[in-house]
Amino acid sequence: MELHLNRVDYIQVGVTSQKTMRLLPALGKKATQKVAIADHDGILTCFGMKKGEAVPVFKTLPGQKISRMDLGGAAGTPQEKIFVCSGSQVRGFTKKGKQFLTFEANLTETINAMHVSGADLFVCASYIYNHYCDCKDQDYYLSGDKINDILCVSSEDTSRFSPVLACQDRVLRVLQGSELAYDIEVPGAPSVLELYNKDGGEEILFGTTDGKIGLVQIGERSAATKWEIDNEKKKGGILCIDTYDIIGDGVSDVLVGRDDGTVEVYGFDSSSEPTLRFDHILSESVTSIQGGCVGKESYDEVLTATYTGWVTALTTEPQKAEAGPGDEVRMSKETQSKIEALRAELEQLQVKVLQGREQYQQTSQSSTAVSAVPVFSINDKFTLCQDDASYSLTLEVQTAIDNLLLQSDVPIDLLDVDKNSAVVSFSECDSEQPNGNFLLATYRCQANTTRLELKVRSIEGQYGTLQAYITPRLQPKTCQVRQYQIKPLSLHQRTHSIDQDRPMNRLSLVGQFSFAEIHSWVVFCLPEVPEKTPAGDSITFHFHNTFLGTQLEASYCKGEGHFRSDNISTISILSDVLSKEATKRKINLNVSYDINDDSVSHTLNMIHPKLEYQLLLARKVQLIDALKELQVHEGNADFLIPEYRNILDESANLLEEYKKQPAHLERLYGMITDLFIDKFKFKGQNVKTKVSSLLEILDNYDLNSLLDFFSEA
Amino acid sequence: MVKHLQRTAGQTSSQIGNPKGNMLVPIFTLKLNHKINPRMVTIGKFDGLHPCLTAATQAGKVFIHNPHARGQRPVAHRLSQSTQDSDISLLNINQAVSCLTAGKLGPNTTGETLLVGSQTNLLAYDVHDNADVFYREVTDGANTIVLGKLGDISSPLAIIGGNCALQGFDYEGNDQFWTVTGDNVRSLVLCDFTGDGKNELLVGSEDFDIRVFKEDELVSEMTENETVTSLCHMHGSRFGYALANGTVGVYDRTARYWRIKSKNHAMSIHAFDLNADGVVELITGWSNGKIDARSDRTGEVIFKDNLSSSVAGVVEGDYRLDGQKQLICTSIEGEVRGYLPASKDLKGNLMDTSAEQDLIRELSHRRQNLLLELRNYDENAKGVSETNSGVGVIPANTQLQTALSVKPATEAQRAHVELSISTPNETIIRAVLIFAEGIFEGESHVVHPSVQNLSGCVRVPIVPPKDIPVDLHIKAFVGGKTSTQFHVFEITRHLPRFSMYDISLDSSEVPPNGRVTFSISDRPQRVVMWLNQNFLLPKGVDSPDVTFNSLRGGGHLSISMASNGQITLRTDDIDLAGDLVQSLASFLAIEDLSSEADFPGYFEELRTTLTEVDDFHSVHQKLTAAMADHSNYIRNMLVQAEDARLMCHMTVMKKRYRELYDLNRDLINEYKIRSNNHNALLACLKSVNLAIQRAGRLRVGKPKNQVISACRDAIKSNNVNSLFRIMRAGTASS
Repeated sequence: MELHLNRVDYIQVGVTSQKTMRLLPALGKKATQKVAIADHDGILTCFGMKKGEAVPVFKTLPGQKISRMDLGGAAGTPQEKIFVCSGSQVRGFTKKGKQFLTFEANLTETINAMHVSGADLFVCASYIYNHYCDCKDQDYYLSGDKINDILCVSSEDTSRFSPVLACQDRVLRVLQGSELAYDIEVPGAPSVLELYNKDGGEEILFGTTDGKIGLVQIGERSAATKWEIDNEKKKGGILCIDTYDIIGDGVSDVLVGRDDGTVEVYGFDSSSEPTLRFDHILSESVTSIQGGCVGKESYDEVLTATYTGWVTALTTEPQKAEAGPGDEVRMSKETQSKIEALRAELEQLQVKVLQGREQYQQTSQSSTAVSAVPVFSINDKFTLCQDDASYSLTLEVQTAIDNLLLQSDVPIDLLDVDKNSAVVSFSECDSEQPNGNFLLATYRCQANTTRLELKVRSIEGQYGTLQAYITPRLQPKTCQVRQYQIKPLSLHQRTHSIDQDRPMNRLSLVGQFSFAEIHSWVVFCLPEVPEKTPAGDSITFHFHNTFLGTQLEASYCKGEGHFRSDNISTISILSDVLSKEATKRKINLNVSYDINDDSVSHTLNMIHPKLEYQLLLARKVQLIDALKELQVHEGNADFLIPEYRNILDESANLLEEYKKQPAHLERLYGMITDLFIDKFKFKGQNVKTKVSSLLEILDNYDLNSLLDFFSEA
Repeated sequence: MVKHLQRTAGQTSSQIGNPKGNMLVPIFTLKLNHKINPRMVTIGKFDGLHPCLTAATQAGKVFIHNPHARGQRPVAHRLSQSTQDSDISLLNINQAVSCLTAGKLGPNTTGETLLVGSQTNLLAYDVHDNADVFYREVTDGANTIVLGKLGDISSPLAIIGGNCALQGFDYEGNDQFWTVTGDNVRSLVLCDFTGDGKNELLVGSEDFDIRVFKEDELVSEMTENETVTSLCHMHGSRFGYALANGTVGVYDRTARYWRIKSKNHAMSIHAFDLNADGVVELITGWSNGKIDARSDRTGEVIFKDNLSSSVAGVVEGDYRLDGQKQLICTSIEGEVRGYLPASKDLKGNLMDTSAEQDLIRELSHRRQNLLLELRNYDENAKGVSETNSGVGVIPANTQLQTALSVKPATEAQRAHVELSISTPNETIIRAVLIFAEGIFEGESHVVHPSVQNLSGCVRVPIVPPKDIPVDLHIKAFVGGKTSTQFHVFEITRHLPRFSMYDISLDSSEVPPNGRVTFSISDRPQRVVMWLNQNFLLPKGVDSPDVTFNSLRGGGHLSISMASNGQITLRTDDIDLAGDLVQSLASFLAIEDLSSEADFPGYFEELRTTLTEVDDFHSVHQKLTAAMADHSNYIRNMLVQAEDARLMCHMTVMKKRYRELYDLNRDLINEYKIRSNNHNALLACLKSVNLAIQRAGRLRVGKPKNQVISACRDAIKSNNVNSLFRIMRAGTASS
């Protein structure tokens, strides 16, 4: 069954956060629903559609930025009360716009996730979870890592309810009162939770920042994963999920909005496996998604809200057949009046802006006045991609970007991204000068680019800051700088557990440092570690290297730290950085190593298949052109040996694969060289002079000769 | 006929029909199983009726796709042929093809002639009769080719652009047209640039210039900022161009209408009226497989589509033989798509989305922008507390001062032009971005001081690699030391053409040997004006007698003007002298200017080069003879070896094959020598062509053309002395 949805834009409000648009339940017989949306200007707008025109029901006054919205109501009644949170305050509005609740949660931090269920209110600030019932404090929980979303599931008989927290450290934490009941490991950092069945039930959908979706059933003591959808096509991270039967087959479909602007509808086949039925690309992050009926009766639609505040519907209503010759006739009366109204408004604004400009010019004559342009909001994300071990940086601004300046004080490579249409230009960095620039690049954007995606590749052991200066096309012109840390072990990612059977090297630190101090050093070295010092006396984190697959275990407490890894280079980098950090704070460290020589050959064995594959690929790609020429010359390829014929048949795939991994081989060579140097560094030998012979061996690669070289040298 | 084509399409790929939607879709798609070399695609009616897609492919071959002729073949014949290759015939050129085109060349032929150029030869070939029309050696190579009528020359010419040279052949292979140009030619097009009803030749070359030749007279010159890779005629005096850095645009005569830049490269451009509004659009095929059609007036995209790999060429032809021209796009992997112009009721709207939705979105965008700007002013008027330093509060009267000055080389830094940017108060400049064309490696230059070195003054060293006037678009980020948001100041400064010359007050220095002398009738004040506008002078000068130090080579340049209006430029750099003459002549609006010149150093170099050319030529002949010997020897050896094999004399056979192997190795070595020799020869020839061009640039208008053609004659007749006489005096006689 094919699904055709047509795009219709409704209105534009201010910049929106994740999950800030909801559809109010339909009233009685009336089939169309009202939309409630809240934005960063603090305005809550509720509107309905009448003849293609947005008719506001109510609109609140501007205030503090609204970060979440939820609907609620007494159990058993329609869930049509609107709750919004801004700062540490929660407000409730009736569907008519009357404010009936103002509740100060008395948190020091701002609320970033909220769930309402009957008289129960669940709010989360970055690490804190609070449960209020009838505005009275009930439960409290301090999470180990940042909380991204919260949901509450109840059992069939509603006697028991369990709040579920989506935490940045890749787990869903299920609570029981103020205690952790158990946690569920998920494949990525979960960013959003949604009930699979809107009426309740124990099944919840989760979406991750790296674009995966899954369904889990929350039991009393344990959870069961029903299905998971991988993100093979490298689409954006999930920002919002809803369930609605848009296909009309009687089964609720899963609607998904991603941060790269993709909207997807997953249906279920007879075996209840989710399959992609529809996708559409909007040009900016989709912050909220809802299924319902807004525009016209009996036409279901997928309603989305984007970062810049556009409310857009993908409706099942067919677009009118455009008959008639002239443009004027084709345009429906509604759109015409809409356009006229817009034009009139534009003219008025134009006049006002001109006045504003003049005044601004006048102030520049005065010697006492100051010029301060308000901060524009930037939606940015800097994440490590597991598949190609590179960082992806996405930047989104509410208005078109004019140019972007990237500056880095560490050596990094900037990779080309197909989606990105901006013209990049690299500027010379004179490293002699004390400015310490390793990368200076400008991106000049095409008109109407509000979202930019970049990819950078870092080298482990080299750390510093990447800065992005974003200049939007907005008068008076300003630019904002954003900083991103490239950490010493930048290619590591958190995992839930490690393989204990591998040969491990150990680095131990003993000294007069506090738990908070050593934690801050670990935060400095490794990505995905919560900034807050963990509760308790000691902590253990597990990581794996996304490029090589080696692992690291960090466990530390006050005065003592142990780091175990099967990769000797990881240990070497850690030891360098940690002792440097300790010296900075004038803390004496007692560093001891426990080096396992087997670990080196183990790491080389792990690299081996990757290296062999890359070498083979390079060799095959090298042959393609020559083979093709032979084929043209001879008219066919029958005379070639099967191996070569195979290369010809696969040439398109091979080239694709080769293009996907630029400089992969060089990176592997670099890591093997580091391994070599580090191995002997721990033995107190400097083998830098032997690196050239190592490279020679790599050029004629054979695992055994490489292993021999490592053990002999 | 149409049916045949469709069946081909069905066999080789999927046929896409034209659905009801208002988007333009391909009317046919073909997958030819041959790679296509970029920019080497054409359509020719070789039998006078049926258009055939013709393109250069790998291994020095040209393929001709002729789906129309199949019906004429006997049935049995057709059945026996494989479906795949029956439509394609291959033409073996045995050399890497560098350009090709097809068209009517001869006066009495029915079909069109195929012209194939390589780095050494030009072949005119009659596909229909399977015969060579002519085969000429072209020493300057054929980088690009165009076929058509030029100026008053009566017969159509095949004009090839090579290394600094342009050459035109008629149907008999006679060299009817020859001239030189500034650098290697990369693109050519014929169009009526001046509007006199006759075609001019537009030449795009690697020195970033588009030159317009009215026969061999240079009438206009437009400077771009990258190698000009493609040119195409739009209509009237309007033409499209593409550069190696991803820029495409449209010129009307010497005025640029619009241009856009993409991070991808434009592989091929073509003019075609896709929306059937009576005006052609500029169709661009990009390196990422994208095809877009842009309005010739605004550059607005009216249609786009994607091929799966880089576009190789965009052509047009009536490929379905139904009287309608199609736009045909080809990719390097052999994918071919044909598009019909839109039908009238589409009203020029070829895009997928409906126009009104787009209009609303566009208007809303503008409203949003205005609202945001308004908010900026409102918030600014309200004022911000001084404590919030992150916002980057600056005094409202902050103004940036910029200054350009020439800095000679010091021990720490090489010579440069210094741009200094400073703020008048305690604010700091966080970073400076300079966007300018042609003087930086990319399109921009960034200065980003480290946190410790932040100050209110930034000095940017600029070293323009060539003497070109440039506009520097400066963006400076101004704010406080700890700000996260900065004010962006945008300023444009003009860098004069001859900025890398430092005025020297020391008149005792020995003047350079090279000089060029000419007379003008203008007052000295006009020359002083020219000096002040084109050089970076701290105080300005009031006399036309000045001396400069060149910051690039370190040489001197002296300009002097006698009371009778005679100007003498003294420099050892002949290029600089040429640039100065051209710049001064265009400033004073002089149409014709003859001059006398002497550059002893350069002329001596040229003399050596000319002897080298002779040497290379003789070596080349010797090597060719040796190669012919070897190939005979190989033939014999192969026969002997095979004989031995048939007679089962395995030892003899092995021996022969071993010898053959050795011979092969020798041949490869010889080939390497030959190709080195050839490359050296090409380099020399290029420098000879360049010398002629340089001699020409010391003159303006008619005298310039006279010098170029006289030099050419001197080279043809191998009269070296006369060549130098012409270069010095401007004419052969005297």
